[in-house]
Amino acid sequence: MTRTGWCAVMLAAALAFSGTAWGADEIVLGSAISQTGKYAREGKFYVDAYALTVDAVNKAGGVKVGGKAYKLVLKMYDDQSDPNLSVRLFTRLVTSDKVNLLLGPYSSGITIPASAVSEKYEIPMVQGGGASGKIFDRGYKYIFGTLPKAEFYFQSVIEAAAKFTPRVQTAALLYSNEAFDRSVADGARQWLKEQKIDKVYDEEYQPATQDFTSVLAVLKSKSPDLVLVAGHEENALNFIRQAQAADMAPKMMVFTVGPPTADFRKTLGKAAEYVFGITPWLPDMDVGGEIFKSARDFAKQFQDRFGYEADYHVASGAADVLAYKFAIEKAGSLDAKKVRDALAALDAETMYGRVKFEPTGQIAMGQVVVQIQEGKLVPVYAAGKTLAKPIYPAPKWSMRK
Amino acid sequence: MLFLQVLINGLLLGGLYGLMALGMSLIWGVMNIVNIAHGALIMLGAYATFWMFTLWGWDPFVSLPATIALLFVYGYCLQRFLLNLVVRAQLFLTLLITFGVEVVMVNLVRIFWSSDLRQVTPGYAGANFSVGGVTVPYVRLWVFMTTVVLSILFLLLLEKTRLGRAIRATSEELRAARLTGIPVAHIYAVTFGLGAALAGAAGGMWGMLFPITPIMGGGLTLKSFVVAVLGGLGTMMGAIVGGLVLGLAESFTSTYIGPTYPNAISFGLLVLILIVKPTGLVGRRG
Repeated sequence: MTRTGWCAVMLAAALAFSGTAWGADEIVLGSAISQTGKYAREGKFYVDAYALTVDAVNKAGGVKVGGKAYKLVLKMYDDQSDPNLSVRLFTRLVTSDKVNLLLGPYSSGITIPASAVSEKYEIPMVQGGGASGKIFDRGYKYIFGTLPKAEFYFQSVIEAAAKFTPRVQTAALLYSNEAFDRSVADGARQWLKEQKIDKVYDEEYQPATQDFTSVLAVLKSKSPDLVLVAGHEENALNFIRQAQAADMAPKMMVFTVGPPTADFRKTLGKAAEYVFGITPWLPDMDVGGEIFKSARDFAKQFQDRFGYEADYHVASGAADVLAYKFAIEKAGSLDAKKVRDALAALDAETMYGRVKFEPTGQIAMGQVVVQIQEGKLVPVYAAGKTLAKPIYPAPKWSMRK
Repeated sequence: MLFLQVLINGLLLGGLYGLMALGMSLIWGVMNIVNIAHGALIMLGAYATFWMFTLWGWDPFVSLPATIALLFVYGYCLQRFLLNLVVRAQLFLTLLITFGVEVVMVNLVRIFWSSDLRQVTPGYAGANFSVGGVTVPYVRLWVFMTTVVLSILFLLLLEKTRLGRAIRATSEELRAARLTGIPVAHIYAVTFGLGAALAGAAGGMWGMLFPITPIMGGGLTLKSFVVAVLGGLGTMMGAIVGGLVLGLAESFTSTYIGPTYPNAISFGLLVLILIVKPTGLVGRRG
């Protein structure tokens, strides 16, 4: 081919790629999510969940609006775990990338400012990474969340603790000073009071805390039956390891995050035994729907593609994409306002469970109490029912094999 | 009893803080470089220990000399081939370049080894003993003893050997040192290597106590800096004293004021020391 010929081809190619930003039969879901920085780990769960679900929806024929099939496309940025950058990126997604709809970032701290962007531009944001009530109690109309309310995180586990024999009498509450964990603690105080369990310790800590030995020394001197910890996975890892080294073994230890993650159990090994956790979702839960016919099916596809086990973060992220598919089809339109109204009225069965939002925009969903028994995650209590026998009280560290 | 337990906790952790700050203080004292990449070197030391433990089953204490050697070589090369180019430039420039090194290191580690939390858990990780109601974890005690031994060895090296004298001479009077035939570029590189080796040792031991992640270093750079300034930047004894003071301050604050406040109190202490005694707790020179 001649030189001019090549030039023409290049020019044509360049035009083809730059002419229209998005294809006419595409629905673009935009998100800024942490791929670096302190939330890089959890952020990856959502990035992978979005990718798998978008591909699955497209493979199953895409999203049908008025007899026409649209493909879902992702437009993602890395917010570097920085709330300020997140706001700028979401603004860019809406104003210059002109994406159709928004998927959320990870963490309550970032979702609170980021959701203000979606509200301002009246573009819905469905997010699966922020559970603090502070995201939803501002009267916003365009924010929807698929994680259960932070205030309810410890509800089922405290209820369960009151039913165990011997009954839990005293409790200690330790939580990070982030928005989400403060909300969890607010709820926990109420549930403890309701179950008439004495609170002997109630302190907040810096999320960057590595060393809990002093906290553990105080806890040991107060010897509560139940220890509730609301914080990040790294905090939970440190707390458990140091509890073992400090020989502090309450009858029951509960963490908001960690136990449901396979990696967490692997990292801690035997030290993770008997620890309680909570999760809105488990791979062997009896739920399913369109696209992924069961939770198990979803978990398998995820494991095959990404090589690690899906936890509730992943499932929640997948549910966000599915919520859009169902809502858009129900709205029969790509109009942001119509999609918002369809989301508000949505009631769909998915691999994550029933997706139905409360008027605030947060999902109506309970927590399953789980315990690590012989390295496995065992659901022990949910919705007022005992599902399996818990190992309680947990043996002292020195009595363990 | 709680008081005694908290005291022991603070001292045991403070020793490690001291070792962390020693390397930073040395590099600052000799070359006037505020090494922002210090935490990244600690991180690298932690990963070195982790991989030797995971891949070959080396006990973290046994592999410590290997970690130290690795980090020494790495630090030597970093100074010899990169930092020496700007070592006599303005402070701001060296600050920027070490910051750049930090960013590159952290992100390379993240790309190759992912952001997963890693732990070094030898069989004795959770073992402990009790004396009169005070529980002492073995690992923390051994870490403390190792930091004491390493600090003493390092101080001896600096005070008693020809190399140590050359380093001190370069630090105190650059021109005179050069006139007596000290190969300054080499000495600088050795100094940075030693600083990196100390950071690596601290990292190896930090990794026995806490999870290892690519971003663990950021907070540790800050901690090392606080410790070094608290004790007196550039003085070796200062780093050790500063470490113990910070360890105790954190431990007592967390117990008697609340676990949210250790940082506030530590930085408050730093400001107070800078006002009352700007050269640090044991610093002499201005």
